[in-house]
Amino acid sequence: MRHQIRSLLGTMVAPEALVPDGELECWRTGQGQQGLPAAVLAPSTEEELARVLARASEEGWRVLPAGLGRWLEGGGPSDVSVVVSTRRMQEVHEYEPANLTFTAGAGLSFSGLRKTTEPHGQWLPLDPPGGLVGSLGAAVALGIGGPLRHLYGTPRDHVLGLTLVAGDGRILRWGGRVVKNVAGFDVTRLSVGSWGSLGVVTSISARLFPIPEAEVTLIIQGGKVSVLLPLARAMALSSLPLAAVELLDPLELKGSGLAEVGAEPAGPGLVLRLLGSHAQVEEMEARVRSDLSHEVGSLQRLEGETSRAFHETLNGWEEGADLVARLCLLPSELGTLLDEAEEVRDLVSKASSPPGAGMRLSAHVGAGVLRVAVPKLPEGDGGLDPWVSSLRSLRARLEERGGSLTLSSGPSALLREVGAWGAAGEEKALMAGLKAEFDPQGILAPGRLGL
Amino acid sequence: MVSSAGEPQILLHPRSRVVNILPSAVLQELILAVGSEWVISDPDRLLVYEADAQTAQKLAPQAVVLPSDTEEVSRVARVLHRHGVPIVPRGAGTGLSGGALAIEGGVVVGTSRMNRILEVDPENRRAVVQCGVLNTDLSAAAAPFGLHYAPDPSSQTACTIGGNVAENSGGPHCLKYGVTSRYITGLRVVLPDGETVWLGGQAREAPSFDLVGLFVGSEGCFGLATEVEVALVPVPEATRTLLAIFETLGDATRAVTSIISVGLLPAALEIVDQNTIKAVEASIFAAGYPTDAGAALVVEFDGIDAGLELEAEEAARCCEVAGARGVRRAESEEERLALWKGRKKAFGAMGRLAPDLLVQDATVPRSRLTEVLARISEVAERYDIQVANVFHAGDGNLHPNIVFDRRDPDETRRVEDASKEIMRICVDAGGTITGEHGVGADKRKYMPLVFSPQELEVLRGVRGVFDPEGLCNPGKVVPELEGGR
Ligand SMILES: Cc1cc2nc3c(=O)[nH]c(=O)nc-3n(C[C@H](O)[C@H](O)[C@H](O)COP(=O)(O)OP(=O)(O)OC[C@H]3O[C@@H](n4cnc5c(N)ncnc54)[C@H](O)[C@@H]3O)c2cc1C
Ligand SMILES: Cc1cc2nc3c(=O)[nH]c(=O)nc-3n(C[C@H](O)[C@H](O)[C@H](O)COP(=O)(O)OP(=O)(O)OC[C@H]3O[C@@H](n4cnc5c(N)ncnc54)[C@H](O)[C@@H]3O)c2cc1C
Repeated sequence: MRHQIRSLLGTMVAPEALVPDGELECWRTGQGQQGLPAAVLAPSTEEELARVLARASEEGWRVLPAGLGRWLEGGGPSDVSVVVSTRRMQEVHEYEPANLTFTAGAGLSFSGLRKTTEPHGQWLPLDPPGGLVGSLGAAVALGIGGPLRHLYGTPRDHVLGLTLVAGDGRILRWGGRVVKNVAGFDVTRLSVGSWGSLGVVTSISARLFPIPEAEVTLIIQGGKVSVLLPLARAMALSSLPLAAVELLDPLELKGSGLAEVGAEPAGPGLVLRLLGSHAQVEEMEARVRSDLSHEVGSLQRLEGETSRAFHETLNGWEEGADLVARLCLLPSELGTLLDEAEEVRDLVSKASSPPGAGMRLSAHVGAGVLRVAVPKLPEGDGGLDPWVSSLRSLRARLEERGGSLTLSSGPSALLREVGAWGAAGEEKALMAGLKAEFDPQGILAPGRLGL
Repeated sequence: MVSSAGEPQILLHPRSRVVNILPSAVLQELILAVGSEWVISDPDRLLVYEADAQTAQKLAPQAVVLPSDTEEVSRVARVLHRHGVPIVPRGAGTGLSGGALAIEGGVVVGTSRMNRILEVDPENRRAVVQCGVLNTDLSAAAAPFGLHYAPDPSSQTACTIGGNVAENSGGPHCLKYGVTSRYITGLRVVLPDGETVWLGGQAREAPSFDLVGLFVGSEGCFGLATEVEVALVPVPEATRTLLAIFETLGDATRAVTSIISVGLLPAALEIVDQNTIKAVEASIFAAGYPTDAGAALVVEFDGIDAGLELEAEEAARCCEVAGARGVRRAESEEERLALWKGRKKAFGAMGRLAPDLLVQDATVPRSRLTEVLARISEVAERYDIQVANVFHAGDGNLHPNIVFDRRDPDETRRVEDASKEIMRICVDAGGTITGEHGVGADKRKYMPLVFSPQELEVLRGVRGVFDPEGLCNPGKVVPELEGGR
């Protein structure tokens, strides 16, 4: 079967589009033999990709869309026949600085885009996990933002249009490069965050912003997370246009150089990022400081390039963890999320010494999102059992309150038992209908989002 | 047609589904669903619902129902679905694309009674409102908390949040803040078959498609949004407002392009051209704009006070370099309102220029504004028609409105042809056929300019997921296939 797929594909695409056997290991979607795809394709044109998907639909192959392949195990499925990567679609098709928009291939990395737009003083203010090396297409397909969402929003707020090659190979173009567009239903937004289950995003148009003139980061420390929480909430609700309000525990970050600036890496920290003109940043900083004056143990300040570099390391926050979970409630319920995370800490304690070692928390304070990373899960029979039941009941409690728990990454066995996704609830039937409309044979990323 | 029981029957038009008479059984069931007081079937009273603010097309519905909550909407939808009668949502009827018209017959469901603010939650900067709440009423309810609802269509004192959701409306300040879809986080929707679903929700990001994003802008074709969860933002602490006067429209658009490309991000950049200025100054709304000017540009910055002054100065410089004859600064809130007046009252004043007004709405890349407007003016000259431009310049969202007299068939034909050409010009420049008013009934014919037949088929399919029977606001947005569907 594997061989058959490979030789069939070989007749359909240019030889350069077929990733050599020796490199397949880099495109694993899960553990064991099943986690190794039979073929990985990197087409250079939409037409080439369309042919492959049309054939895959006929044959019923399971296909996983991919960008540069750095985070393929997140969200499942762990067993596919074919991975299609946008790696060879990295061209900037159009960049018009005066319009503050660009159109580029989905495989272009954030750093690649930056090289193009930075000389013109413009940027795309998105900072998804994984950092600048990830592709635009992946961030758009996952709909994921990072700390900057506090001021700038997530990909849904930036993408103006995209090309989607649907599951059966139809090449569909939605939206455009104008900043306001209500012609037809908003399939662009439907595609953003559809996790590759409707189609492969091959090109993206998005709006850019002027790079702020000045940048300052303030790091506030002193006491436990519970002490910093009210402060964090107050900052997120202040009328100042802060670019990011993040709560981290511990603050420690590899290569961030925090200790050198006097921060206490082992303790929790509240991170505020200030962006704007010199006058604005100065004013924001003065007002933050006066709001804080009585309440903090210590305050560190980073500026300009140092500040920017710090946020880039912040982005690699969960690298290497065995399990990353994402807990969501309303922002005002962040305290509840932190309490819930303590239960996870108890589990970590039972499995590690010293108790609780290595668990990390990071919250987008304004959005009510808490990410929990567990570096090491117990191995061997039965070790995961308490995790399975704890995570299930945690999810039930969050869903009960209108929230959600998703497992961003974790061991296949755990993901299988708990499920990466929670219930789509009332939306399930509509979602299934839409999936069938774009991917009638259901070949793309089967199982994702519960579909 | 009269059945043996003496009941009038639904008359189905062979192609489109035109319902000529509503069977009295249906009317009875609607009365049971919402109470007789809230079902309108008297032809005189139905005339109120025969058009929206784009009055070119007029057609009264068979009946109008005014439910008070989700439950009643659901009951009404069930009745109509069971009888195969089209259902047409309607907010305040300020739409400019004929969206709320029952053009294939059927029953209009008006949301005017669903005007309750259900929750204002400053701790989470959100509110939940019924769909019939007026845009400005929502901001007023948030004001005590220092918050407001950002999207501000010029019709905001009259239009409903439900209508804004359905059209994905914009407004002058959407340049900085973004349009409606950025602010809608959850929706309670009554689907065309009467089922109720909750989509999205601020507390529940992720494990689903962005169905809220898809619903916003669906122009009443996916069901009726009965409750809307919105994100609120802080009221800006300070503003700076400029009014720049130019000899020509081209100078004004060059100033806009230059303001954007030097890296300024104003809250609003709005232009009115000479024809519009003349109309405003001749009306009761006279704002003191010089009538010999080629164009006037309103520039506004907002946010924290620090730095605003410098930004305003830099924008003023851009205007001067582009050839502004003068730049006025608002020194007080009254002066600010005065500077805005000529822009805000433009639509109202234009109505007085001639019996009919064709409001157009297209978007082009901001870098192409000057060139596109020059071509539009050339078209106007060639067809001998009068175009008055008033537009969201910073977003590239044009409203080249045409004033004319429908009673003059020759002029009407020229207006038709010219507007088609204008659409084509905008699309060729990399733009699109509507930036904020929606496709509705009247721009369906332009959809093939921006979508391939295959993409149109997908749009029909997407609609079918919400409305398999095609009963919800039929005849809108997606053009029909040859032979009808
Ligand atoms: C350490 C780390 C942690 C991360 N944590 C999270 C997280 O918690 N949540 C989260 O959402 N993301 C997470 N990501 C993903 C990240 O945000 C970027 O999206 C990713 O790193 C981009 O890299 P890539 O181009 O190699 O994408 P890939 O690894 O190639 O793809 C990432 C995902 O996006 C899909 N995808 C990629 N391109 C396309 C496309 N063109 N069309 C359709 N689907 C596509 C793939 O199916 C896959 O699921 C993480 C990444 C890293 C490295
Ligand atoms: C003077 C003037 C200025 C304007 N300025 C602007 C502007 O600056 N920006 C802008 O974008 N628009 C503007 N408009 C257009 C119009 O005001 C907007 O489109 C507005 O959102 C329509 O709201 P409404 O409540 O009047 O909706 P209606 O006109 O009643 O309906 C519009 C559409 O929405 C659907 N609909 C209504 N309520 C619901 C619901 N609850 N659920 C599902 N579908 C529903 C209807 O079926 C219809 O398709 C202007 C109009 C006028 C007259």
